[in-house]
Amino acid sequence: MAVAVFFVAALLAIAGGIGVISFRQPIRSVLSLVVVMLALSVLFLLLSAQFIFVVQIIVYAGAVMVLFLFVITLLGPARESGRGRLRFQAGLSALFVIALLGLIYAMFQGVHYRQPEQADLAVFGTVQSIAVGLFTSYLYPFELTSVLLLIAAIGAVYLSRKDES
Amino acid sequence: MGTFDVGGSQLDTSWFLLLGAVLFAMGTAGVLVRRNPLIILICIELMLNAVNLTLIAFSRQLENLEGQLFALMTMTVAAAEAVVGLAILVDIFRVRDVEDVDDLSELKG
Repeated sequence: MAVAVFFVAALLAIAGGIGVISFRQPIRSVLSLVVVMLALSVLFLLLSAQFIFVVQIIVYAGAVMVLFLFVITLLGPARESGRGRLRFQAGLSALFVIALLGLIYAMFQGVHYRQPEQADLAVFGTVQSIAVGLFTSYLYPFELTSVLLLIAAIGAVYLSRKDES
Repeated sequence: MGTFDVGGSQLDTSWFLLLGAVLFAMGTAGVLVRRNPLIILICIELMLNAVNLTLIAFSRQLENLEGQLFALMTMTVAAAEAVVGLAILVDIFRVRDVEDVDDLSELKG
């Protein structure tokens, strides 16, 4: 059962990924990315990451993608011009990507897994266990992310303000 | 080794790692090939999602929660990156008509 769920979600994610990089209109790319994110959220559930599953759907597929859609409505349906100025760009990019994929695959061949730490899988990845981690040993980085979000919000407001002068 | 149990059936961690690698490579291809700055940002989001999948797969395999915490941090950084990147894009599009990242080459000198 879990194997079937994995393969369906993985195929959906790969199909969505192909859609993201091949659709001409930005709106279709964004909707393909939503498909990828929903498929990945199912995989997160398989990996017993319940909290990340919910965050992925609400924050990513919800908030961030709506932001992208707003920007598309703001900018209008810009289509891509057909050819760029660089010749061989597509061919060189394909070569580079295949080399990158081969390197990552070769790296995976050498992975030796450590012995699992025998965590209590009944609470693994729940809100409770995530919160204990975030508010004890990772409190400092957690607080820093709030500063990061504040900086991003102020930067966005500053960049998108109207010129008064 | 490298497998874990979900509801009675065995899943292999390397499947998740391979899927993450394929999605990451797709995102790289998009960043390299596409010419619309908005789609380049979308492809960066795709790459960050692939990295999250890898982090969470290792987290499950090692039964160590720190991978999931790191994935949460990645999501925060991705959200901040999307906000600032889109604000910059809107600002650029408002000032002039850009239909291609090659139109933004003033820094070349």
